[in-house]
Amino acid sequence: MTATAARDLAGRVCFTDIQRFLSLFAQGLAGKFLHVKVIESQATGGGAKRFIDGESIHVPADIACFSAREHNLGAYRIAVLHQIGYLIEGTLEFDLADLLQQHPRPALLRRVFGTLEDMRIEAAMRRRYPGARDDLDRVQAHALALRPQTQPMRPVPALVEALLQYSLGAARDALQASTRGELLAKLIDTAAVVQRQGARVADSAHAALRICAELGNLLRRLPRHFVTPTTPEEFARLRDSMESLNDDEFSASDAAGLAFDYRGQLMTDPSAKRRTGGQFAAAGMETHAAPGTVAPGTRDAADARDAPHAAATIARAPVAAGPRSFLYDEWDFHRQSYLSAWCRVYEQRLRGDDFGFIGGVRSRHAALEKEVRRRFGSIKPLSWQRVRRTSDGDELDLDGVIETVIDRRTGHDADSHLYVRRDRARRDVSAAFLVDMSASTDFPLPDPAAAMTAPVDAPAAQPPDSGLYLYGGHDESPAAVSTPKRRVIDVAKDALALMCEALQTLGDNYAIYGFSGDGRHNVEFHVAKDFPDRLRSSTWAALGAMQPRRSTRMGAAIRHSITKLAREPAGMKVLIIVSDGYPEDHDYGADRTDREYGIQDTARALQEAERAGIVDFCITIDPAGQDYLRRMCAPSRYLIIDDVTALPRELSKVYRTLTS
Amino acid sequence: MDSHSAASRLTDEPWYLPLADEVQIFEAAYRARLPVLLKGPTGCGKTRFIEHMAWRLYRESDSARRSLELPLLTVACHEDLTATDLVGRYLLSGNETVWMDGPLTRAVRSGAICYLDEIVEARKDTAVVIHSLTDHRRVLPIEKTGELLDAHADFLLVISYNPGYQSVLKDLKPSTRQRFVSLVFDYPAIEIEATIIAHESGVNAALAQRLALVGEKIRNLREHGFEEGVSTRLLIYAAQLTAGGIEPRRACDAAIARAVTDDAEVQRAIGAIVDVILP
Repeated sequence: MTATAARDLAGRVCFTDIQRFLSLFAQGLAGKFLHVKVIESQATGGGAKRFIDGESIHVPADIACFSAREHNLGAYRIAVLHQIGYLIEGTLEFDLADLLQQHPRPALLRRVFGTLEDMRIEAAMRRRYPGARDDLDRVQAHALALRPQTQPMRPVPALVEALLQYSLGAARDALQASTRGELLAKLIDTAAVVQRQGARVADSAHAALRICAELGNLLRRLPRHFVTPTTPEEFARLRDSMESLNDDEFSASDAAGLAFDYRGQLMTDPSAKRRTGGQFAAAGMETHAAPGTVAPGTRDAADARDAPHAAATIARAPVAAGPRSFLYDEWDFHRQSYLSAWCRVYEQRLRGDDFGFIGGVRSRHAALEKEVRRRFGSIKPLSWQRVRRTSDGDELDLDGVIETVIDRRTGHDADSHLYVRRDRARRDVSAAFLVDMSASTDFPLPDPAAAMTAPVDAPAAQPPDSGLYLYGGHDESPAAVSTPKRRVIDVAKDALALMCEALQTLGDNYAIYGFSGDGRHNVEFHVAKDFPDRLRSSTWAALGAMQPRRSTRMGAAIRHSITKLAREPAGMKVLIIVSDGYPEDHDYGADRTDREYGIQDTARALQEAERAGIVDFCITIDPAGQDYLRRMCAPSRYLIIDDVTALPRELSKVYRTLTS
Repeated sequence: MDSHSAASRLTDEPWYLPLADEVQIFEAAYRARLPVLLKGPTGCGKTRFIEHMAWRLYRESDSARRSLELPLLTVACHEDLTATDLVGRYLLSGNETVWMDGPLTRAVRSGAICYLDEIVEARKDTAVVIHSLTDHRRVLPIEKTGELLDAHADFLLVISYNPGYQSVLKDLKPSTRQRFVSLVFDYPAIEIEATIIAHESGVNAALAQRLALVGEKIRNLREHGFEEGVSTRLLIYAAQLTAGGIEPRRACDAAIARAVTDDAEVQRAIGAIVDVILP
């Protein structure tokens, strides 16, 4: 290894080492979560995908352009800052596709517009982030050093290249000396408008149109500057000039020659504008739309409902109006290591309008409700206890006062603990119930009445290994669905509703969450009742709104529950997970059939819960649960219920046992 | 006892930059003797606001209440704070027990403003004594002495709470909440926050503007373990350290990054945000 290569290696910064850091850096500055991704190369089959779409930032897999590590890290920061600039400075709000469609030389216009936008954004960057100027200077100088000479080029490409080099900080005089000085000076003067404070994307578009018009005029002016060609060389030169406006040659990215592409590439797809339009005003503080189907803005509505009517809001509106998201590591069983900040959990409030839900539960389970209440009522503690001889309290402790007076009169030290105070001898328990809301909970339960009358040779339920479909199997005959049937999720909701009522009696602090999701970037965490919430009609409606959704990425949901429980000051913390199948998601492992990955990640998450002092318990309504539960948790920490309708009774038993 | 209470003589005007119409609303509430609830995140200026209002109402030259020595009694509520701590208790003095007024009783007798900071932290029995003071009765029942104390004409009760504070299991009951005029605070807009930072620390306007921008950006990371973002108070601390000769990036590290989170990666990201924003 040469000394230079060794030096490069020492300074190299790899994306995988700084992924979370860059993600946090980008989120802080942009005001929203952005996926920071590696630029996929042709070699990896992804093509050079680095489009700026308002949702992602694309950076190289590693940077080793500079010998010093902090300079390479600075280059990463510049890449993030530059691409955030497209969002903050309004580039994505501009309909570039529309502009290009109306122009005779769209590739040329796009190239010039891109260069001007980069100039505008970098000028704004210098003003907005003065601490990044040194890094930007360094990155620009490095990129500039690798640009080609303009002298051998034909006039128009030479001018476009000169403009790009000017945007990278090349000296104006040097450029003008080598490339059609007078015209280049005019182009640079036109371009310089975008570097002024307050320049907008429309200024870049206007300047780009003017520059393209000048470049178009160049061809018409060329003959006046040339002698009539008489030699083959002069003919060739003129032909080259004529062809210099062949638009296709500008279709390649101007970033192709950069050492690394820190600038990204603008999209011409107007849908990008629709996705991000209006979100980034000057301050770049707005929030992003929620993934999934939960309506954005619901939190705003909730805040409005919660706010007292007499309230006068001072200062700016709350920043976060969309669902909050949280990043969690995930345990990669195959690599035996954590994947840092791998899963994004979106926390959102469940809201429902079925205010008759609890009435239905009570009528369905009248006898059970009384039984559960009675069972829980018997362990309700005494409400108050008197603590004597405290340093302060509600009343003087007469015995203490007498002793103190005697001590004083006899010349001894007097005790200052003279009071009696009343302390609530409360159960110090916080419990979180985490309910699987995966698609499989949609399957109807076997009708007990039908089962009793069914012929003996009726087809059995699908074997457990048939995947998600545990209840009702794949029977698609109309008769099987002709009457509305209760589903797994319905029974789970009934069980939780009964628990809520019982826990109110007991006075324990509790929360009810549901989880589902679709891939690691979109783990859904639904809050029906959070710890501080009081039980009210909207809580019942939220519980009633739990519906089957997508996958079962259990590890991330458990980790988020741990975070929430960790904030509770209770002495005893309990996490009860109610699920109907093994952990599963389309990217939960090497492929969808990789069950072990999800099981091991869930097992790891449960270990994390135990380390955090949380008592966890899994209740599974999957006859095949034994297969994986024994690998996820200790035998005393799970229960398999064959008959899902027994869930309400079993859940209350489990809770009482765990917390007594 | 009431060791957590603090009285202020308010000899100098506490500086406060109004953000909206909160000063007018508070003055109108005071004229009608309507109790006030201040709601907002930590370090956004609630306490400074109440000090400023107490000064305006009790210390301005045309105030008829200038003679009151202690116009503002503040109680920092905690989970063991009981009604007794607010109202008073018997103390053993020599060979006899003597009654000692608590801060609330002192304010009720003297006509001061009593400010109960983070009221939801206190025990539930405090609501009992608050309720009778916040409606038309304006009385304080002192159970242990059998006294039913009529509030002084100038007395006003002000409470604060922070709805975003995660460790709070309790919430204000509607029966308590709906006795107060509510003023909702949030961290100020960037220009106003810069003015506040500059005034409180003495740093120049340009640096104050940069620090306010740092605050705005760091609040975008509040989902990563610090629910309330960085407070205006911490930004002022960073500015004060800078004014005291500490290099600005180091000051931000000590006063902001290390203060808001223990997550090393988040601290690093905050450091990078500070680094690019500061000149």
